[in-house]
Amino acid sequence: MNGKIMKSPGWLMALMVMTLLLFSAAAHAKIDGITGTTFNLTASKTHISTPDSNSIFVWVYDAGGPIGPQYPGPTLIVNQGDNITVNLTNNLDEPVSIVFPGQTAATATGGTPGLVTREAQPAGTVTYTFTASRPGTYLYHSGSHQDLQVEMGLFGAIIVRPTGFNAAAPATRTAYGAGTGTGYDREFLFLLSEMDPNIHSLVEFGRMIEVDMSKFRPVSWFINGRAQPDIMAPANVAYLPRQPYNCAPIMHPAETVLIRWLGAGHDLHPFHTHGNNFQLIARDGRMLSTTGAAPDLAVSNFTQSVEPGATYDALYTWTGARLGWDVYGHTDPTGAGVVGPACTAPQELNEYAADHCKPLPVALPDIQSLQFASFYSGSPFLGQHGFLPPGQGINNLNGGYFFMWHSHNEIEITTNDIFPGGMLTMIIVEHPSVPILEQ
Amino acid sequence: MTGSTKACILPILALFLLAAAPAGATVESQCPTLPGGAVLGDLNGDGFIRADQAEITLPVSPTQVCLHLTAGDGFVNMADKSTALPNGTSMYIFSFSNVTGVPDAQVMAAGMLAAEFSAPTLKFKEGDNVYLSLTNVGMTIRPDLFDPHSVHWHGFTNAAPIFDGEPMASATISMGSTFTYYYNVVEPGTYMWHCHVEAPEHMQLGMLGNLYVTPAQDGTTLGGFNAFAYNDGDGSTGYSPGRQYPIQIVSFDPKFHEADETIQPLPFAAMNDKFPMLNGRGYPDTINPNTLVNDLGNPSQKVNAIVTATRGETILLRVSSLSTTSFHTLTTLGLPMQVVGTGARILRGGGLTTGTPLYYNTNSVTLGGGESVDILINTENVSPGTYFLYTTNLNHLSNNKQDYGGMMTEIVVN
Repeated sequence: MNGKIMKSPGWLMALMVMTLLLFSAAAHAKIDGITGTTFNLTASKTHISTPDSNSIFVWVYDAGGPIGPQYPGPTLIVNQGDNITVNLTNNLDEPVSIVFPGQTAATATGGTPGLVTREAQPAGTVTYTFTASRPGTYLYHSGSHQDLQVEMGLFGAIIVRPTGFNAAAPATRTAYGAGTGTGYDREFLFLLSEMDPNIHSLVEFGRMIEVDMSKFRPVSWFINGRAQPDIMAPANVAYLPRQPYNCAPIMHPAETVLIRWLGAGHDLHPFHTHGNNFQLIARDGRMLSTTGAAPDLAVSNFTQSVEPGATYDALYTWTGARLGWDVYGHTDPTGAGVVGPACTAPQELNEYAADHCKPLPVALPDIQSLQFASFYSGSPFLGQHGFLPPGQGINNLNGGYFFMWHSHNEIEITTNDIFPGGMLTMIIVEHPSVPILEQ
Repeated sequence: MTGSTKACILPILALFLLAAAPAGATVESQCPTLPGGAVLGDLNGDGFIRADQAEITLPVSPTQVCLHLTAGDGFVNMADKSTALPNGTSMYIFSFSNVTGVPDAQVMAAGMLAAEFSAPTLKFKEGDNVYLSLTNVGMTIRPDLFDPHSVHWHGFTNAAPIFDGEPMASATISMGSTFTYYYNVVEPGTYMWHCHVEAPEHMQLGMLGNLYVTPAQDGTTLGGFNAFAYNDGDGSTGYSPGRQYPIQIVSFDPKFHEADETIQPLPFAAMNDKFPMLNGRGYPDTINPNTLVNDLGNPSQKVNAIVTATRGETILLRVSSLSTTSFHTLTTLGLPMQVVGTGARILRGGGLTTGTPLYYNTNSVTLGGGESVDILINTENVSPGTYFLYTTNLNHLSNNKQDYGGMMTEIVVN
């Protein structure tokens, strides 16, 4: 029944190797964004597409370059201590601005005075400066006509790297600084937002007078600007030119994944991680810590409510330990039923030795009694495939374990009344021997 | 798979379903024993077959637990009872029932139209080896559907997809057949469980219930207690004998249930819950100690939300939310709350027994869907009387159009 992954078609392996060569430089760096100390953004009009075949008018921040206008705005990746300058040009028909929650002593120059910060008038400009004094995860968004403009898409994420950060070196690949116990193997962004397309239609067709935010009723929900299943497509796919970012977390057993959650919309989203609890290590760019030395106040949980305007950082791992059966499906080669470390079948990297060679405790029903979907390999064991009906399991090339990470306000895992959709992605735990492509 | 709009399909009862069961499908629960052993059945009638209660001879482990659930449909009554509607609004549901001990050959008949809300409470001990068999008996009122069902143990540590019940990443059971889940229970705490198939629909329809695990520390004496929420090492999560109460926040949108019952398109984004509840009941049904019987005469609401204590005792509330639409805040009037756990972990740094204490005193807790907290209420300085536990989402203090009800129950201190 179970064929090892090594029996995958030759062309597939060749493709994987090729892709690996192309993308290996991007390992451990899979939060797409732009770096530097000066960012030139333009508030622009464009359209995004959603999986219900809708095309929705949005206002977004545009950093130019190959991407242009994008929803959400570009993720600004900066270094702790840098003096950051953001020049904003307004291509909209009403004043626009940017605020930087969590950054101390941000200043605005140029433009015209606004309610909460200085604004760029249509065709005008304004400049903001701040020092990225603390590492962490932050939002930026419009500070003008916020109830409408943020809904329209004028928001994005800022990641401040701690002093001495170097993604290539495990000791300095941390969220809050070397020696703080916030190191990770891979990091992924979860910028959460929702949308009421009726509001966007009114704005698009110049019916601004009819816009009533008190009637806001979202029907689409997004992670990094995309809804399921687009969320899991590679970054920068051609069919989503205005939504370059994806959210396709992937890991090996026992690796640590850094989750960066941001609440960029109007609503609270309780975000649930299947597979395991996470350790919540920071809120709003502040490590949960009594002394700053380590996140000693971290909370273990399986759902995090991400409130509007809040950011959270969490560390997640998955080992498969203590399930009471061998997740790799090893069997005692002697046939004597030896289990645990004494079983002579080779162990996998980071395998939980006490369960080595322990059989699955139950018999699975025959496949005619079961229903499947595209992420099940056909085998209960990690890295293996089993026999499946035609068309099933097609999105699980390596026999990985897929876990749904999603809003537990279950109505939010739909798109315009179509399930599945919305604020839902899958993390893949791949067999230790499978090269990981963060795409 | 719902959302089809075939008009005028009348409900067809049980025989259709039996005839339509796919070839080869069988009801087959699994509760293995060592050679020569036997499953004696649910002798004490608690809904579980446990080796440590001498209900299995020669079990595969001394902590073996077996149970058998069915997934299907049924009806429950809401708390909006009135002279005109003495039994309250009848609501179509999908959910589960517990058929542990029923011979496999009789399980289809026992499970049809037997769905309960809340789903049966699942209570395990740290160290249990659980064999949970789930038989899909189909939805009698919806013969057009061939939905599978699943059990998702929400929050299970290091879950493997095959036993996680999430259908996109695993296998789910078809009508007329049985899937047995295996859980090696290593982390005590307050979880929850639900069907994960087409989750916005199946959960709004009622496929959800309480689930908690008591710690290995139970039975030792620490801090004057011998029962605890967690392995705290100092008795600080202790509660008085018998004073642990699972409380689950849930809510129903009657229009959505009606659309499902009458085979209409499902308006997910417009979901608007009008029947807020605790443990599958609106107030005052929450404090009715009896099983509620639905309009078909079936016992369908077995879980209540009554909390009682004698002055001086400590109460443990195991609060979880499976609302599909909204966050909720629960408060008590006049009782001190101390939060000692969240997400099935002790509320100490890192969720570890040795971590920095993070317990906090409060008068309210806020939970989004899929969250849980453990609350201790010390009644030492509390006058005897009736106290209320209720939501401060005040529009949810109603049973649809009937005010003075909804998400509320009573804590009685004698």
